[in-house]
Amino acid sequence: MLSYYVQTALRSLRRTPILTAVLIGAIALGICISTTFIALRHVFERDPLPGKSQSLFYVRLDNWDAARAYVAEDPKSLPPQITYKDMRALMRSTIPVRQTGTFVSRMFVFPQSAKVRPFREPIRLVFSDFFPMFDIPFQYGSGWDKAADAKPEQLIVIDAAMNQKLFGGGNSVGKTVRIADRNFKVGGVISPDWRPSYRYYDVVQGPVPAESIFMPFNLTPVMQIQTSGNSDGWKDYGNTPEDFLNSEQTWIQFWVQLPDGAKVQAYRDYAANYVQDEKKHGRFQRPLHVEINSMPELLEAFGFVPKTVKVMSLVSLLFLVVCSLNLVGLLLGKFLARVPEVSVRRALGASKVQVFWQHVVECEVIGIIGGALGMLLSVAMLSVIAKVLQQGNGNSVTGVSLDLEMVAVSIFLSLVAGLMAGVYPAWRICSVPPAMQLKLQ
Amino acid sequence: MLEMKHLKKIYRTESIETHALEDFSLIVGGGEVVSVTGPSGSGKTTFLNVADLLDTFESGTYLLNGMDVSRLSDREMSQIRNRTIGFVFQSFNLIPDLSVFDNVDVPLRYRGLPAAERKRRIEGALEQVGLSARTRHLPSQLSGGQQQRVAIARVLAGEPKLILADEPTGNLDSVMTREIMDLLERINDSGTTIVMVTHSPECAERAHRQLHVFDGRIVDVERPRVTLAGTGGSGFAATLN
Repeated sequence: MLSYYVQTALRSLRRTPILTAVLIGAIALGICISTTFIALRHVFERDPLPGKSQSLFYVRLDNWDAARAYVAEDPKSLPPQITYKDMRALMRSTIPVRQTGTFVSRMFVFPQSAKVRPFREPIRLVFSDFFPMFDIPFQYGSGWDKAADAKPEQLIVIDAAMNQKLFGGGNSVGKTVRIADRNFKVGGVISPDWRPSYRYYDVVQGPVPAESIFMPFNLTPVMQIQTSGNSDGWKDYGNTPEDFLNSEQTWIQFWVQLPDGAKVQAYRDYAANYVQDEKKHGRFQRPLHVEINSMPELLEAFGFVPKTVKVMSLVSLLFLVVCSLNLVGLLLGKFLARVPEVSVRRALGASKVQVFWQHVVECEVIGIIGGALGMLLSVAMLSVIAKVLQQGNGNSVTGVSLDLEMVAVSIFLSLVAGLMAGVYPAWRICSVPPAMQLKLQ
Repeated sequence: MLEMKHLKKIYRTESIETHALEDFSLIVGGGEVVSVTGPSGSGKTTFLNVADLLDTFESGTYLLNGMDVSRLSDREMSQIRNRTIGFVFQSFNLIPDLSVFDNVDVPLRYRGLPAAERKRRIEGALEQVGLSARTRHLPSQLSGGQQQRVAIARVLAGEPKLILADEPTGNLDSVMTREIMDLLERINDSGTTIVMVTHSPECAERAHRQLHVFDGRIVDVERPRVTLAGTGGSGFAATLN
């Protein structure tokens, strides 16, 4: 019967092309807006490292002023990053299977090719564990090893876009590029498949794209590299780079990989003991507060989904509801104009339920066609949004697109929209007494 | 086949009550052709609508094939309309944007018959009414008589036991009228009961029995007579009010 209802629906839609275009257009608009914002929310809410994120933990310590909390109104608040000296101390632990401190800086890059002008680029400083911890895949070469960390070697890892920009693509491992006042050898090129929607390893800077160049953290004191990210402090941090590194200024994100609950507890104890020891030296004057959160907990705690995206996804759903409800009147008019035909069908043996479903299916056909159109518009809108969120490094925010899950959501919304628009008109048309209408014909 | 006892049907508006059927009693036997005549507003069409289960009634009993149909659900009534009764309208009531084939297909779709069976029935019915060559035509491409033949084919395809016809020749000229009446008689030959509302004395005379309705009641009954179809009613009875 469904195929007959679909055939009947398509015939009916062809009968009134202008009205059909209006109906489909309204659903398409509603689906486009709602799908776009729900997809955007989905991008920020989904687990960036499925199967792995639960073993990655972010460490925070409360080294703030004894007189007031990090957020004065919230006594339980603590800085989102840690100090350089705390990172150094924590890295002495052997409990984590991997660990890395990380921050972002900005430096000038001088390409070998005369065709590419020097440019200022965000560069992330990381330890060698960073790459395996965050499952970063390589197209050529690899990250560096612990020896390169220790030395530190002048190595970089670049992503595929930067490889294209600096070397025109291809295997550039071993090639040299000048950054700031030094030459760096390319150790690895990240696979073009790795285009995270945002820097899930840096919750402090907000949902922006990943950097294109990574270099050993230990070059920081050597090159006197300064952070270009957030830096919070409550105490004077001196005048020299060395003063800054030894200050209470918090500017480093610190991650550890802990394979199981026992290791997590052991690490908590380790961090707490470290803080207690430091208290003896006059630091950490606030009550003991160590936060070790898994990546999903952290993204949740930091409210990583921008509020505007959350609000807009709800507003867009309301917009879809309004679009659908606006169609009720049009569909009612369309259906009631068909009372004579429906009366004949009833006289020939169609039950009320069959007439109801026939018209609901017609609304669903409108919903599905409108939904498909809306999805296409949504793909276009998302690509525009991805470009708007683009950073100076030329990387667009990837993953801002419709994945299979969102396509399923979109289809579901289309069906719901069709149903919302069609249930009342379908109920009205099936409730019309056929005898009266047959008499009038 | 069809038995109505003391049926009462009232149409109500806020200020007016119209007694469309009043103590309406009738028995039509299997294989009969019964004509129902009467002035406009006398209740003929109301009777047909009630008989076709398209309309309800206030009181009385209606037995169809021995089954009391007054308390059936919409689904059950629809099934009876679909399987037991065929309805022929004065204005043909073909669906304008469906081809001849698809129009005849409509009741069969609601019966849920497989495609091959539907095709067999549709082609058979259209052959019976002489329209095999017009299956892809739209109703607007056919004459009035041809459209009524399509409507009759739509009924025939369902193989009903009872055909209710509401002025089946009302919109046709005399030649077409004869054609349609001949067709109805041929259908009756196969045992199908026909109840036909008509204004036409000629059509009424071709029935086995003629009933006259006035103010919602049967007021006159003609005796059974030998008809052109040659089959007399088997269960004749009517209440004279």
